[in-house]
Amino acid sequence: MVKYIIKRVLLLIPAVLLVCITVFLLMRLIPGSAVDAIVYKYSSIGVEVDEDAVRAQLGLDKPAAIQFFVWFKDVIQGNLGDSLFQNKSVHSILAAELPVTFELGIITIILSTVISIPLGLLCAARQDSGLDIILRVIAIIFLSIPVFWIATMVLVYPAAWWGYAPPADYVGFLENPWKNLQMFLIPALLSALGQVGMQMRLVRTQTLEVMRQDYVRTAWSKGLNERTVLFGYAFRNSMIPTITMIGGSVSSLIGGSVIMENLFNIPGIGKEVVAALSSRDYPLVQGCVIIFAIYVMVINLVVDICYKWADPRVSLE
Amino acid sequence: MKEKNRLRRKRFIFFRELFKKKTVGGIGLAILVFFILVAIFADVLAPYPMQMGVMQADVLHSLQKPYIFMTAAEKQEAVMTATSLGGIHLLGTDSMGRDTLSYIIYGARTSVILCLCCMVLSAVVSVIIGTTSATVGGWFDLVVQRLVDSWLCIPSMLVLLMLMSMLGHGMLQMIFALSVPSGIAGSRIIRSATIAVKDSGYMKNCTLLGGGTWWKIVHHIIPNILPLIITNMAGSLGSVVLMEASISFLGFGVDPSTPSWGYLIAQEGKANMFIAPWLCITPGICISLMVFGANMFGDALRDLLDPRLKGGVGTFSIKKMKKLAQKQLKKMEKFRAKQAKGKVAGA
Repeated sequence: MVKYIIKRVLLLIPAVLLVCITVFLLMRLIPGSAVDAIVYKYSSIGVEVDEDAVRAQLGLDKPAAIQFFVWFKDVIQGNLGDSLFQNKSVHSILAAELPVTFELGIITIILSTVISIPLGLLCAARQDSGLDIILRVIAIIFLSIPVFWIATMVLVYPAAWWGYAPPADYVGFLENPWKNLQMFLIPALLSALGQVGMQMRLVRTQTLEVMRQDYVRTAWSKGLNERTVLFGYAFRNSMIPTITMIGGSVSSLIGGSVIMENLFNIPGIGKEVVAALSSRDYPLVQGCVIIFAIYVMVINLVVDICYKWADPRVSLE
Repeated sequence: MKEKNRLRRKRFIFFRELFKKKTVGGIGLAILVFFILVAIFADVLAPYPMQMGVMQADVLHSLQKPYIFMTAAEKQEAVMTATSLGGIHLLGTDSMGRDTLSYIIYGARTSVILCLCCMVLSAVVSVIIGTTSATVGGWFDLVVQRLVDSWLCIPSMLVLLMLMSMLGHGMLQMIFALSVPSGIAGSRIIRSATIAVKDSGYMKNCTLLGGGTWWKIVHHIIPNILPLIITNMAGSLGSVVLMEASISFLGFGVDPSTPSWGYLIAQEGKANMFIAPWLCITPGICISLMVFGANMFGDALRDLLDPRLKGGVGTFSIKKMKKLAQKQLKKMEKFRAKQAKGKVAGA
């Protein structure tokens, strides 16, 4: 197991390298480059700057390959460059914001799993009953409703009707855990909704699939009660595709968290990346994307390890 | 002629199955067809059609209440004060005095165009990458797959935001930004399906007869994985609508002059939530409906076309199981009783 984890972590390195190349290529394709942004920034406060000088200062006058290696050397050393507009290094900005985004992501995953798996099992155990139909309809509704729409309404109407609004200022978890959680719970719950719909349906179909297997029939005919059959025999087997799905959904979950952070004013990377894209702060965007990619990779690694727990047949080699 | 009839019959059977076995999927298809028709006939259906590509605005009647929710007195007043644009606003107006109903009808056109174009383009991209990567194989496959892997690590929302802010806010850019990333992501399934086809006997035969890569892809692989391509296409519809709306909501979507549901919620609905809730609620319902239709149709199509992936067709029920067990038990008892009497051999 330890050997496997070490191997996987080492395999992350070429993956990060490839992500860096992809991000670098994407950013070089930009028509309006960083130079334009800087020239625009200074000309708006009345200072004329020489375009070529800026280009030389940023190292953009060299060939793309050399640019890449210079940039990549910095990235390896943890230096993601300086923000064009904030007078801070990208590293320091992201270091402050990563825990916030990470917390939101983890709470979302936990909430969606905790809600969807019991409900999915319940649906499967009581197939075609009234409860099953109601829960399935709710799942389909969750799947179809755009998250940002429901979030906008949740943000505005309760504030008007009951005077409730989530706290506007971010408080660290260690300072005041309750206030911190209060800020995260509603956005996390909202961005978990779509996930809940999808996972619930998957858990249901998978459990039904497993329930048709021979070994479950054997368990029934042995006279075991429902609880034992459902949790002892069916549950873990039906979890295998669900875990795969949770892993696959992390990247779409980040899309949701970008929206949530912007709506609920949570100071995370998702909020930063939208602001950086609007102001064309390219080093910051690059940093955000790389951090997000590593985030996805790490969560995928954790999911793969969970896979082993659910399915001992999987060889980790 | 016979062939044509056979095809027609096959198609008929398909739709009958869709509506009979997968009623929800049939409803989904109906919703999609409805939105497509609305998009095609937007100029006829909209009470205040676009003129020169711009929605008609009437600042005097900004934020008017929907006509259907008005009291009798308000209705009379609305008819009396109607000016240049004239007439009533069934679903009210926004802060610039544009008719919400017309806006939503044109928004449907934007969504449908995006949906159809993205569906086709992303399918093309994924088929090209997936099939060539699998058929050529070797180092080419390795390199392409590693690139696809690294691409999948970057969240699609971020790629979309980056592409949109880089390319500008046009319709064509939106189609490109929505379809190419999802095409690259979808290429993995196509690749694995292609590999399954590649090992079959007829493909080996084709190689022996001297078939080139292109020939193999066009004449053998694509026809064989067509059901998968179609289900992939249908499955991506819903996410396209959601993505487009989310991007417009964040302010990176199509040009503000192009009507878009997400934009209506973000710009008009959010600002006037209390005085004009209809500006937020109606487009949201439209998005939900379209996503619902697309998702349900996609699911039904997958179940019908790909029997290996049958979802939720299990006939398991605890009551039934218990009854079955009891029946078996009774049979067993009868058998034992017979055995005891010595009527059956092998006692």
